[in-house]
Amino acid sequence: MLFGRNSKNAINMVDKKITDWTYSTCGYCSVGCSIEIGKNAEGKIVGSRGVGSADVNRGKLCVKGIFEHELFDSAGRGDKPIIREQIGESYKETSWDNALDTMADKIRDIQQKHGRDSFAIVSTGQLLTEEFYTLGKLTRGVIGTNNYDGNTTLCMASAVSGYKRSFGSDGPPGSYEDFDHTDVLMAWGSNLPEQHPIIYWRMKQAQEKRHFPLIVIDPRVTMLAQNADIHLAVTPGTDVVLQNALIHVILDEGLEDRAYIEANTTGLEQLEREVAKFDPDSASKVCGIDADTIRNVARLYAKADRGMSIWTMGINQSMHGSDGVVGINNINLVTGNIGKPGATSLSITGQCNAMGTREWSSCSGLPGYRALENPQDREDIAKYWNVDPEFFPKKRGLAETDIFPAIELGEIKGLWLVATNPMTSLPNTARIRKTLEKLDFLVVQDSYADVETVQYAHLYLPAATWAEKEGVFTNTERRINIVRKATDAPGESKSDLAIFNELAKRFEQSAKMSFPDKPADVFEEMKPLSKGRLLDMTGMNHDLIEENRGIQWPYTAEEAERGEGPVKGGKRLYTEDGTFSFADGMAKLVPLPFIDNNEVPDEKYPYWLNTGRLVEHFHTRTKTGKIGNNNKYSPIPFMEINPDAARDLGIQHQDYVRCVSRRGDAIVMAMCTQRVPKDMVFIPFHFFDCVNRLTLGLLDPYSRQPAFKQSAVTIEPIADQEAAAKMSRDRRAF
Amino acid sequence: MLKVRSDEPEYSFLWDKETKAVNQHGNLIDLVNEDSDLHCQSLNINNDPGIGDNPNRYKQHGFFLNADNCIGCHACEAACSEKNDNPAHIAFRSVGFVEGGTYPDYQRINISMACNHCDDPVCLKGCPTRAYTKYAEYGAVLQDPDICFGCGYCTWVCPYNAPQLDPVKGQVTKCNMCVDRLEVGLKPACVSACLGNALDFGVVENIPENRIEAKISIPGFPTPDITQPNIRFQQTRSTQLEMTRTDSMPLKYQKDDSGSTFKPKVDKKHGEKKEWNWAKLLTSHESAHVIFTLSTQAVLGAFLIIVTAGLFTVDSLATLNTAAVKLPLLGIMFVMLTYGLFKLNMHLGKPHRFYRGFNNLRLSPLSREIAGVSGFYTFLMAYGFFSIFDNDIFNFLANASGALGAISGLIGLYYMYKIYRIKARPFWDHWQTGSAFFGNTISFGALLTGLISLPLLSSEHALLTLATPLMALISLGLALELIGHLVHSRAMANLENEGAASWYLQTTRYGKAWITRNVLLGLSFAFALLLLTMNPSGVAAFIGWSLLAILMISAGAISRSLFFVLVIPTTMPGAFFWKNKAFEEHARESGLVDMEQVGVVRELHGKFKLDELLETIRTTSPATLFKNIKDIVVWKKID
Repeated sequence: MLFGRNSKNAINMVDKKITDWTYSTCGYCSVGCSIEIGKNAEGKIVGSRGVGSADVNRGKLCVKGIFEHELFDSAGRGDKPIIREQIGESYKETSWDNALDTMADKIRDIQQKHGRDSFAIVSTGQLLTEEFYTLGKLTRGVIGTNNYDGNTTLCMASAVSGYKRSFGSDGPPGSYEDFDHTDVLMAWGSNLPEQHPIIYWRMKQAQEKRHFPLIVIDPRVTMLAQNADIHLAVTPGTDVVLQNALIHVILDEGLEDRAYIEANTTGLEQLEREVAKFDPDSASKVCGIDADTIRNVARLYAKADRGMSIWTMGINQSMHGSDGVVGINNINLVTGNIGKPGATSLSITGQCNAMGTREWSSCSGLPGYRALENPQDREDIAKYWNVDPEFFPKKRGLAETDIFPAIELGEIKGLWLVATNPMTSLPNTARIRKTLEKLDFLVVQDSYADVETVQYAHLYLPAATWAEKEGVFTNTERRINIVRKATDAPGESKSDLAIFNELAKRFEQSAKMSFPDKPADVFEEMKPLSKGRLLDMTGMNHDLIEENRGIQWPYTAEEAERGEGPVKGGKRLYTEDGTFSFADGMAKLVPLPFIDNNEVPDEKYPYWLNTGRLVEHFHTRTKTGKIGNNNKYSPIPFMEINPDAARDLGIQHQDYVRCVSRRGDAIVMAMCTQRVPKDMVFIPFHFFDCVNRLTLGLLDPYSRQPAFKQSAVTIEPIADQEAAAKMSRDRRAF
Repeated sequence: MLKVRSDEPEYSFLWDKETKAVNQHGNLIDLVNEDSDLHCQSLNINNDPGIGDNPNRYKQHGFFLNADNCIGCHACEAACSEKNDNPAHIAFRSVGFVEGGTYPDYQRINISMACNHCDDPVCLKGCPTRAYTKYAEYGAVLQDPDICFGCGYCTWVCPYNAPQLDPVKGQVTKCNMCVDRLEVGLKPACVSACLGNALDFGVVENIPENRIEAKISIPGFPTPDITQPNIRFQQTRSTQLEMTRTDSMPLKYQKDDSGSTFKPKVDKKHGEKKEWNWAKLLTSHESAHVIFTLSTQAVLGAFLIIVTAGLFTVDSLATLNTAAVKLPLLGIMFVMLTYGLFKLNMHLGKPHRFYRGFNNLRLSPLSREIAGVSGFYTFLMAYGFFSIFDNDIFNFLANASGALGAISGLIGLYYMYKIYRIKARPFWDHWQTGSAFFGNTISFGALLTGLISLPLLSSEHALLTLATPLMALISLGLALELIGHLVHSRAMANLENEGAASWYLQTTRYGKAWITRNVLLGLSFAFALLLLTMNPSGVAAFIGWSLLAILMISAGAISRSLFFVLVIPTTMPGAFFWKNKAFEEHARESGLVDMEQVGVVRELHGKFKLDELLETIRTTSPATLFKNIKDIVVWKKID
């Protein structure tokens, strides 16, 4: 029996009738996938697909990228500037001219009354690099506040700091192609399948061609941990102890790469002295990994010809985040695993343009990896921008996480938030609410008018999103890739670049400077600033970038002139001996003493609270929370809890429960799973008014990044499930 | 034909070089002979007359899932929904998981599943409208939503939850195997999108490169015996002894003694507490079926009694043959049946397409039921009409209608029973469904007859004469039903699959309602026996019959509601939110459903679009009409 009918019917299938594809780079995470946005003959955007010839993603996209084209007509977008005198009043629509005049007046006013640094600017990792550069110029050269940072402090600051401490500069030295060459991969607090699925696929492809052992360090049994050859379920916040113990074994057993160490590093003696204290037996008591396994892993990694380490927020979002990065670098330096194919310390970055903001936004210094602390750098940039070098501060100002406490102290009176949502993303929401209430003037510039922080703003500026504008992103492997404009932004929304330029015009100082309108012109202005530096991109231009589906830096004008091509992938840093970014060309082996000063579970708050990402959501859900085919996989917040713990607490699978910390409480739905230990719960961080009501977020001393992933909570069952459901639902406007 | 882009990556292309002849179910992989006229025909995708040049075009294809590799990233589901432009609440492919072990020795096995384009497509056989076709091309089982009237029967019979009933559009849609991509040598969109290197596709039984096995089952997958599905699995990593589901289904899977295969087992997720759950029981979405089946069975039973009284000389039933008794009885039966049919029809996603229910008489028990019951309804009306007149011709016509009505009614009843003998729904797939349906036909038929006719009788003698056989029938029907329940309970309790899970819910979540039903049914039977032996008259008879009616109707309503609400289909494991029945219910109850992006919609009833029906009538040419009717009756044999 075959057909079920006498004659065949025609088959109807959905045909989106796409006539035009616009090349772009995905605007979600930092993997940097090339994506094409499809339009039909009426010019309506109806589809997207991964670019087959792009080296990064080779035609693939993740669940977010596949539906990214639905962003353009998603709910909650702003289309007109809105303004009000006081929070609590209702907003009124206003013109751009009035909005920006008011904003400029308020900035001047606050700065006159309270000093230049009393107006702070917090941006993001979401803008295009040309926009970051322009915002940096506006901030450092025109407005002149030193309290300027990006939300990248919440995700990548520890990586930046760790790279700088070890290698003398930021800039991940590896590339995705390293998976194809490595003999052992160690993943520290990184859950590729959930966070960076395309990188996971690149790793999987490599692993299928040539199996290499995978070691995963994560307190939770993530998909990656489950698929690992060795899973180290480390005690939260003790990675540094494990790292020191691994180096202890490596040095103790003579497994280090002496030749590499001598040719490339300084500080071995100090490191040796410090790690001597971390014999595996003592270390195991702290980090929770038994001594035999520590030795085994140390041998496996050190004996491999090429070893590669990746890490993400499990390392960065900790009180020892920067140390954790340095620890990884230490391991790779003593085993000679930097700058060779398959041998690297590769920080897997967070936002689409976290790298761009690190390179060009002037948040932590001046553009092109320049430091405010360096007089020559100040001189060079001042000259290039036509600014008095004395106008620049001589030291970096506050990080994002210090800006909010400074508002609390009354030192900062005005704040401009660009494409970031601290109401959901910063730890201790209750404190942030109070802080925001204290501001004399808060501007929120965002694509979404319903972003939660708008509740506390005086002025909201509607911005274009992603492919409603043009410019470049830099991805995790230092690849600059281009976003082309596919459609217009809704209503009167403007690109962030246009907003910065328009605002600049309202300050006298800008008249002497150049603020190009076109992103390509901004890019050309930036290029000379990269010349001869680690991130040299003088060989690139917008069109060449698109043609090559992204180009990894460095790519110099000289290479371009010689006709050396940009390579497809696999470009690395520090490939020659003694070429690290410190003056002596040597990398530093930094000793890492361990001080445990974090919040840990106790009798009153007996559970570790761990937080993290879900594959279907991005950051604070402003985008993915509105796209049904993303949001449906986790429409409300939930909490992974061990079934044995749940039983003791009288909690059933799928009950709403109340999670309480010293900061506040949150209502989540319980998901009983052995994925987490009995003394730990896991809550995704994407949801408004949820996990960050609980987190403490003590700051890393170097990077000022909060320890999102280590707090202590207690859990209470809720008798009135209906009321809990209502409360949970009411907090989900989207 | 689809245009293949110039930079299409290699992994998107089909790879089958050699193929096997026979699959693991023993069926030929070549779907038609080379000289068949089905060769070299266009699939007419969106009316494109092109013919694909895929060299394996006439071989059965299937998905391959390497469960060791699936990371649950949803890329396959997303790529599918993007291609097919599906809203959040519809998914041709879904990923769920089973998990096992104790931290940190924990394991999650993700399972990505769409349609398995089975060798024995029960959806195609079940669909009354003939919306399904199994194509010679790739063995694809495709469904045409333009034909479908949204009854959802295919979603009942499919063990894998492949057909998706969309309450918003009132129609079913499903995986189309991306035949447009296959025609140009590309794998389906979901496969090309896979980020774990878990999903693959090709001619069935071909093992992809780097893979070592092609199993026909993994834990959580329903038995392949039901439909002979065309999906193959690799699952080589050692698994925990017990794998559980995160969704609300009270089932888990345990390794059997051989250590290689998993057997389902009841997972007492909600403990052993007995509950009422009246609201869920009596207002379920299937209440239309409760009303339809019970009213049809009662009316058919009464009809059979009346017709017997008319056709044969049965003294005790003779009074039923008088117009004064018969006509009011038939009138009430007509109203009851009309109401039942109305409820059933309005339960469809597209009730104005009711006439399509006969399309698949060849294969579908549902079509046959619809035909049988429709015939019965017609003859019931005819019988009533002819019974108004008392002369030989009309008597003959009435008797003929009665006989035909009885036959078609019994056919309808038989297929009503057959409809529920679904292998993917073990709770129904038992002869008890039949004993209940036939038992209720007898008991409620007799009760209905008695309740209407007895008060109309003038003499006490007539009453006593008629009441005895009716009460005997009631007792017989109830006895049948009771025996069925007893045997069914024992059978379900001894099962280890979804049937046992239903039994668990019956004795816990609906435990109190179930006990109430048992008590009411037992009392009904005892009381019927008492009335049969006592045969009271006058006020005692009135009270007795009324009390019995209350007992029986209450028991019947609870019983039939339990029947519908308790059935648990074999389905793939869901996830925590997505494809979790309990969360869907919660979303509807808590109002989360009002946010479209939650991916849950309300259970809606279709609208009767008269204009669409009139439009169809207006635009259907007599030739098409004739062809359609011919296609129902004349079946061309193919291969």
